[in-house]
Amino acid sequence: MAKTLSRRDFLKVGGVAAGSATALAALKNVMSAKASTEIKTAAEEKIVASTCHLCSAGCGILVRVADGKAVKLEGNPMHPVNQGSLCPKGQAAPELLYNPDRLIGPMKRDRASGKLTQIQWAEAVQLVAEKLNTLRDAGHPEQSVLMHGDTRGQMRSFLARFMEAVGSPNIVSHESLNVAAAKLGTYLTQGIYGLPAYDLENANYVISFGANLLEAGSNPQRTISGYTYLRRGRATRGKVVVIDPRQSITASKADEWIPIKPGTDAALALGMANVIIKSGLVDADFVKNYCFGFDNFTSNGDHKGFRDFVLDNYDPAKVEQITGIPATTIARLAGEFAGNGPAVAMLPGKGGLLNGGFSGVYTAMAVHMLNALVGSIESKGGVMTQHYMPCADYPKLPSDPIATAGLKTNRLDGAGSKFPLGRNSYQSIADQILEGASVEALFLYDANPAFETPGGKRFSEAFKKVPFVVSFSSFMDESAELADLILPEPTFLERWGDDHIEGLGYPGISIYQPVIEPLYDTMNTGDFFLKVAESMGGTVAKAFAWKSYEEVLQFRLKDIGADWELLKELGVWFNPGYRFAKRGSQHWIDNIVGSERMNAPRDGYFDLYSRELNCFLGGMKKDELAKLGISQTGDNANMPHYEPTAFVGNEKKYPFMLNVVTLMSLGPRSDAANMPTLQEISGMTVRETWDSWLEMNPQSAAKLGLVENDQVKIESPFGRISTKVKLVAGLHPNVVNLPFNQGHTAVGRFAKGRGVNGLEILNPASEPLTGLASFTNTRVKVSK
Amino acid sequence: MTDWCMVIDLEKCVACQGCSIACRFENNTPAVSPQESKNGRAIRWNDVFPLPLHFAPDQGEYPNVKTHYITRPCMHCKNAPCVKVCPVQATFTDEEGIVHQNYNRCIGCRFCTVACPYGVRYFNWFKPEWEETLAEYRNPDQLSVNGSLEGPAVRPTGVVEKCTYCVHRLAKAREQAKVEGRDFRPDEYVPACVQTCTGKARFFGDLDDPDSTVSQLSKSLRAIHLLEDSGAHPKTLYLAEG
Amino acid sequence: MQQTLNLHDREELIAPLYQFDRKFWTTLAVLIVIIAPGMLLYARQLVVGLGVTDLNRPVFWGAYLVNFIFLIGIAMAGTVISAVLQLLKVNWRRPITRIAESLTVFGLMTAGLQIIMDMGRPDRLVFTLLYGRLQAPLLWDIASLTLYLLTAIFALYLQLIPDIALLRDTSPASAPLWRKKLYTILSLGWTGAKEQWRRLEKAITVVSVFIIPIGISLHTVTSWLFSTTVQPGWKSTILGPYFVVGAIFSGIGLLFIATTFARQYNKHLKEYITETFYTNLGWIFIVMSAVWFYFTLNETLVVVTEQETLEFPVMASKLFGEFAPAFWGMIILMIAATWILVAPKFVSDKPTPNPLFQSATGLVATAISIVIFFLLWLRLPVLAAPGIQSILIIAFVVFLILALLGVTKWMKTRLITSTVIASAFVLFGMWLERWNILLPTLTHARLIPYTTYNPTITEIAVTISTFGILTLMFVVFYKFFPSISIWEVEEGRALESDSTH
Repeated sequence: MAKTLSRRDFLKVGGVAAGSATALAALKNVMSAKASTEIKTAAEEKIVASTCHLCSAGCGILVRVADGKAVKLEGNPMHPVNQGSLCPKGQAAPELLYNPDRLIGPMKRDRASGKLTQIQWAEAVQLVAEKLNTLRDAGHPEQSVLMHGDTRGQMRSFLARFMEAVGSPNIVSHESLNVAAAKLGTYLTQGIYGLPAYDLENANYVISFGANLLEAGSNPQRTISGYTYLRRGRATRGKVVVIDPRQSITASKADEWIPIKPGTDAALALGMANVIIKSGLVDADFVKNYCFGFDNFTSNGDHKGFRDFVLDNYDPAKVEQITGIPATTIARLAGEFAGNGPAVAMLPGKGGLLNGGFSGVYTAMAVHMLNALVGSIESKGGVMTQHYMPCADYPKLPSDPIATAGLKTNRLDGAGSKFPLGRNSYQSIADQILEGASVEALFLYDANPAFETPGGKRFSEAFKKVPFVVSFSSFMDESAELADLILPEPTFLERWGDDHIEGLGYPGISIYQPVIEPLYDTMNTGDFFLKVAESMGGTVAKAFAWKSYEEVLQFRLKDIGADWELLKELGVWFNPGYRFAKRGSQHWIDNIVGSERMNAPRDGYFDLYSRELNCFLGGMKKDELAKLGISQTGDNANMPHYEPTAFVGNEKKYPFMLNVVTLMSLGPRSDAANMPTLQEISGMTVRETWDSWLEMNPQSAAKLGLVENDQVKIESPFGRISTKVKLVAGLHPNVVNLPFNQGHTAVGRFAKGRGVNGLEILNPASEPLTGLASFTNTRVKVSK
Repeated sequence: MTDWCMVIDLEKCVACQGCSIACRFENNTPAVSPQESKNGRAIRWNDVFPLPLHFAPDQGEYPNVKTHYITRPCMHCKNAPCVKVCPVQATFTDEEGIVHQNYNRCIGCRFCTVACPYGVRYFNWFKPEWEETLAEYRNPDQLSVNGSLEGPAVRPTGVVEKCTYCVHRLAKAREQAKVEGRDFRPDEYVPACVQTCTGKARFFGDLDDPDSTVSQLSKSLRAIHLLEDSGAHPKTLYLAEG
Repeated sequence: MQQTLNLHDREELIAPLYQFDRKFWTTLAVLIVIIAPGMLLYARQLVVGLGVTDLNRPVFWGAYLVNFIFLIGIAMAGTVISAVLQLLKVNWRRPITRIAESLTVFGLMTAGLQIIMDMGRPDRLVFTLLYGRLQAPLLWDIASLTLYLLTAIFALYLQLIPDIALLRDTSPASAPLWRKKLYTILSLGWTGAKEQWRRLEKAITVVSVFIIPIGISLHTVTSWLFSTTVQPGWKSTILGPYFVVGAIFSGIGLLFIATTFARQYNKHLKEYITETFYTNLGWIFIVMSAVWFYFTLNETLVVVTEQETLEFPVMASKLFGEFAPAFWGMIILMIAATWILVAPKFVSDKPTPNPLFQSATGLVATAISIVIFFLLWLRLPVLAAPGIQSILIIAFVVFLILALLGVTKWMKTRLITSTVIASAFVLFGMWLERWNILLPTLTHARLIPYTTYNPTITEIAVTISTFGILTLMFVVFYKFFPSISIWEVEEGRALESDSTH
């Protein structure tokens, strides 16, 4: 057989021709050198299991501690969320721990001069205890307020207990900035106030309505794990479709990206529902037997059901007009979704796409209902319900008339009163204070409201009216700069804590532990409040009989099935395997559908016609509803429908919708902006670094005469900022994007003065029914 | 003989940049100043980036747009253009196919950086610096190959550096096997980027072992080499999207 | 052969070597002022790192490398030309062999300097000897450069020996003792004996034979630095000869300028270096320009026609993109230089009634074409009218041709001035050519977005400094040694008188 001369042979022949035998020997020597290696490493090394706290995923980590220094983080392979993986934020965590701008001890600020003085922790404890006791003695414990950010695990209940013991109902979570809209959508339909967990591993078809599976959702690492398993981890590859005005990384990686006119996702979902119903592709068993309001029904008169409502109003041809997506595409998506089960429609957990008025909540309801129509609620490859590890109950609080009276007052943020459907309205605290609400003490835990809320500058004004502001931030962030007491907490690598594992349905606990001794004179806020309680004495001291926060954790987690030593060693404990509840079973009624409804019946029916919403809106007149931004009346208002977003700024003057996007790299937390590595990689998609930018469709830019990297002014009715423009082909022509977590005026040397904060020019108003912040209803003008 | 190989499944890669940063903390490449970063001098041995339009011109116009992202470690080419041009043998391929870089030998002529078609080689325009306390987290591993420091050792100004498939981790794994008095198995070590990959898109192992994952994946119909036409015979493999 | 030296020669050629007059010191001071900033900035670069340049990823090479290729280019010509002419026994070469050979030495020295300045670790230069990897093109280049430099120094020195002996024997009484000693040592006991002459002639011939391939090898190997990589724009098989031709081309240019500079500096030299030399070498210059155009056409046309995905963008950036000013600047300079050299050959010496060739016509046409150029450049609103722009472009070309025709007569009467102008054009054009070969490829990497390169103040200052050093070497060297080879001139005269008698 004739042997052809391959390229490799040719190289050899060439080698022979080129040189003598010595040269060849030299070549061989160099091309494949026998390397003698020697490795030296630290004298003392250990691996400590803990949990990452740089975003809401809470991945398990294994920290390599070499000679007393935390040098490297790896994912904990035992942890079900990240399974050994770790994202760039987690990898860069040593830059947080060893950040040169960390606060090194407690400080007190003199309001008049603004001067900071170092104090002792004992003094700080005394100051806080005295303040709280003064308020209690005056009979106004509710005048103390605690705002907290992404606080999970036992710390949340610990802080809640502390405020309860003091007697204030005012513990306000930041969820109105992000997850609350999706949670409300689930609540008003499924009757569970929580983010649905999605069984991506078993899903065949995933349609994401603006959910950033791969970047900055509520639990990015969980969705990445699920997504990649669905793509190539199993024998058959699932299809992923992303509906988003912006081609995020998720959308670029998906099989299909469908750009949509912003704020019209509800119409698309209902258009799909229309096709599914019309074609008879609904899960008949589920909608007939386990849903309320699919068909028309009679109860104090005739009511229209979901089916007729959708068939009458959301013909794909009409939806095409609203969304800009061709009717044929809508029909195809509906067919694929209903015909290729298990299929799941995903809500954005974070990213604010739903925060554009009550229409966002309707959108969340509409999207979640798609799952119900095809029977994907509580089924394999569909929606799961998040279960939590049962923790030991705290001892009953001692009876305390002052606290009881205080707790009866209306919440400061208006949740449950001014905002009847809301549970927390973080950003409205500023408005309440500025409108004259009396706040005597304000605690900021893991919170930087002056930066992270739309129109956050209001907080600077509001803080001036509060005589006693306490920040527990590890960095001198925008809010800490305005605080009277700055009581730095150690970073998550130096303190005790824990986290509930979320996103997989089944329960689990993941703990933080000090991987090294705290570097500075900092104190875990849990320990601090224990000391405050002790110093306050009386019923508050009795309510907190623990010596340290570590003890609190040990107490709360004593029944989870792992002892403390094992938990410390593994870093994580969970009950693997999600067991789907049988439709209509007791478990179903108790835990899965309807169990958390506060007004409507907890009967295990999934509401296609929201009875819970009817409890709020039923009987309202057209003009009352209009005030809430709802154009439909009667039954229609209780069903998800497309509600045009009430944009601030008229379309002629302000042609673009501003969308502030959270990036995988910089993430949601202010302190991450002071990590140089994250700054460096933040603009990977547009090849920018250490700066912010405005993403714009090239055609829109051409119309304005803008070219890449032009400095542009972005003006909304609320203000004006200036940054450079980047042309992004994958973007709706009427939308501009600005990354979040730049434009800091404080925090540290790496964060300060880089780029702009888009939230400054967003609508600062709160949604009147729910108290949600407004992220996507501001229009802007872009000019050179 | 072990033949180290990395396979990257682009369908599972989610462009999170975890690999870039895991590499940074494993191999002591500090963040550079903002100005330097803007000048294109950031050092990330493994870089993640959207493919430039000139390279992948089919990215389309709105609404039919598809941006392609890629993650790029060193290809550890079998016919490495960098090794061919180095005048002082500062970069060389060892018998297991890893392309080394000797910081003590490099004269900083930057011929290798020019010759590499993948742009995987980085030059120390200035002395690598960690601001104040940031220096505390540096990886203490000191790997010396043939008497010279390699891998994570802090580089002097004016030399070239690159991805080594975390060759110091290999040395540690070998050392461990020796301490435990047994033979080293090729599945005992992976580079930092492989370990951290959020999408589990990276695989690493011995291409000589027909049963290893990388061997199996290398037979996939989706398996492609980046810039195959450059003739460098890259060893790092990609599994194409779709 | 008998050594003859008339008094006149001695006065004109040797006396200036001992005159450290004001002119000399001023020149020296000016040169030092030119050189100093670059050296200071280089010192900073040494301390801080190469980050002070605008080099980045992927533009890892820049101005220093451009200078390097340019300098070895001009270095090559001197000795190769001198050697070729020597072997061909061309007589008019005699007055310029010294300058040609010294340019080679200085060019190579400054070229070597560029490499050192470009290195991240110049302290490790010796590693190339200790650990050299034979297969690396850069090592070949270093070897070739070293060999060429040593050979060139040897050739220069060989040529110098009889003249040094002459200096030793004729130094004025006032000459410092160390100079006398220096000449005594360097002359190696030259007495002018017949046997010595025979050996010298033989040695010179042998060196001349050897230096030609070495010189060509250096430039070819330098081209291989680029063409052996897999980078678009460099993977060309004709890059070697292209570099060699470019080198000879630019080398002749510098030779013209250096010779004229020497003539201006020492007016007496005009008697030795006559217009004949300019005319004769001018012909070689014209031939080289033709060959250079031929290669440039090859390099450009092939790539433009094949439109390969990687190669074409690099070429396109030269033709229409960010390198267009440099590329078309180069082309225009080369065309202008060729025109300046060629056009006068077609004009008769006699006064001509043809108005096309009058200086006045040239001046007017030049003025008009400049005005039109600026009209086009500023994109005045007048141009908006249909057709106006095309008419103006055509008018520009016509007037430009008129201007070029107009100046030919002027050039005809000023051979040396026009040759120097042409040489300057060629030198600048060739520097741009090196720039156009090196940078477009580097800025058009495969996986990195297209980028740009703008030399920083350090790189600009070091470049200026380099050419200052080159001039300084030239000035100082010729304060110690005569700038024309006295014995060769004498030999030439003797041969001439032999043939006339």
